[in-house]
Amino acid sequence: MSEGRHDLEEQFDRILSEHGAAVSRLAFSYETVASVREELVQDIALAIWQALAHFRGECSERTFVYRIAHNRGLSHVWKRRPPHQPLEEIEESDQPIDPRPHPEEQVAQADRRTRLMSAIQSLPVAHRQMIVLMLEGLSHAQMAEVLGITENNVAVRLNRARNMLKDALGERP
Amino acid sequence: MIEDRELDAWREQWSSAADPSADFQRNFQRKVQQRIKREDRRFALGNVLSVIAFVGILIFALYMRHQSSWMGTGWATSICVLVFVSAGIRIWVLRRTWSPETQSTRAFVELWYKRVAARILLLRISTYLSIGWLIFCAALIAVNWSIIGQDVRAHPKAWVALLVTCVLMQPAVLWYGAAWLRRRKLAELNEVKKILDEMSGNSAP
Repeated sequence: MSEGRHDLEEQFDRILSEHGAAVSRLAFSYETVASVREELVQDIALAIWQALAHFRGECSERTFVYRIAHNRGLSHVWKRRPPHQPLEEIEESDQPIDPRPHPEEQVAQADRRTRLMSAIQSLPVAHRQMIVLMLEGLSHAQMAEVLGITENNVAVRLNRARNMLKDALGERP
Repeated sequence: MIEDRELDAWREQWSSAADPSADFQRNFQRKVQQRIKREDRRFALGNVLSVIAFVGILIFALYMRHQSSWMGTGWATSICVLVFVSAGIRIWVLRRTWSPETQSTRAFVELWYKRVAARILLLRISTYLSIGWLIFCAALIAVNWSIIGQDVRAHPKAWVALLVTCVLMQPAVLWYGAAWLRRRKLAELNEVKKILDEMSGNSAP
């Protein structure tokens, strides 16, 4: 194996271990069915691998990964219409079980989680992306870099997306 | 501060709901490596098959060229012209539309739109090219009718079967196939336009 390929593989493994969980979470906003979501995450990883050889550090590694993940997610949404799944169809099987006591609280938490996920998945893709990036903790500047819009635009649209999410959750009067 | 508490609550729910399972994380690296190897093999095989097909067509054209008749020369020339014109048009129409997944989402969607529009244009050109090819074949047969006519009279059943096959393929391939593909591409174009509108803030909330 060549030295260049070996370096690339090391970099790829590091990216997957650092951003793998974020990519999985991001895939959750585009796909609700666990087995298909796993395929989508693999697709994203494959796209990262294919693009890695051309990555020259023009943006941060995190931005690079999020851009690819979102773009692959968008293509996935088109291939698998309709994208939104009703609340009752969202799978719970692969969600972690909280070992702490208070079963009523656990049930309530699970219900809130499911409602949030369903609400996110019901948003139009552009707003969904804003919300997911916000939940992943990206700054306005980083979001602007991933989405290709200005920071001011991010602030305006984020506000709109948050309001839409609240509407979807039924939290706005 | 209410806004921040709300965001914190959402973040907590988000990370607990969407975290990948332990089983998935364990097998993830291995599965990705397998996918990469499979894609590498598919890419290499695709390239080899393309080269084989291209060389095969050229060999066939050369073989036809050495048939000592007008028809042989005509077939050879037309096959070569068709191959190069098709490849040239494809490259020209799809220029600057290759998937730029490392670019920002907006740039990606804009190029996606261009790519779909280019494919619709390519489909239209391909349809015209197919019709042109049929007219060319008909003209070639008409010009060489003195030679072909003898063969038709000698093997009428084989020629009728060929004619029927050609006629049946027209609606199947050119009409239904192209129309289905066009409908699909137009639906994709509308979807991409909708995403672009959402990104520009033109969609109704």
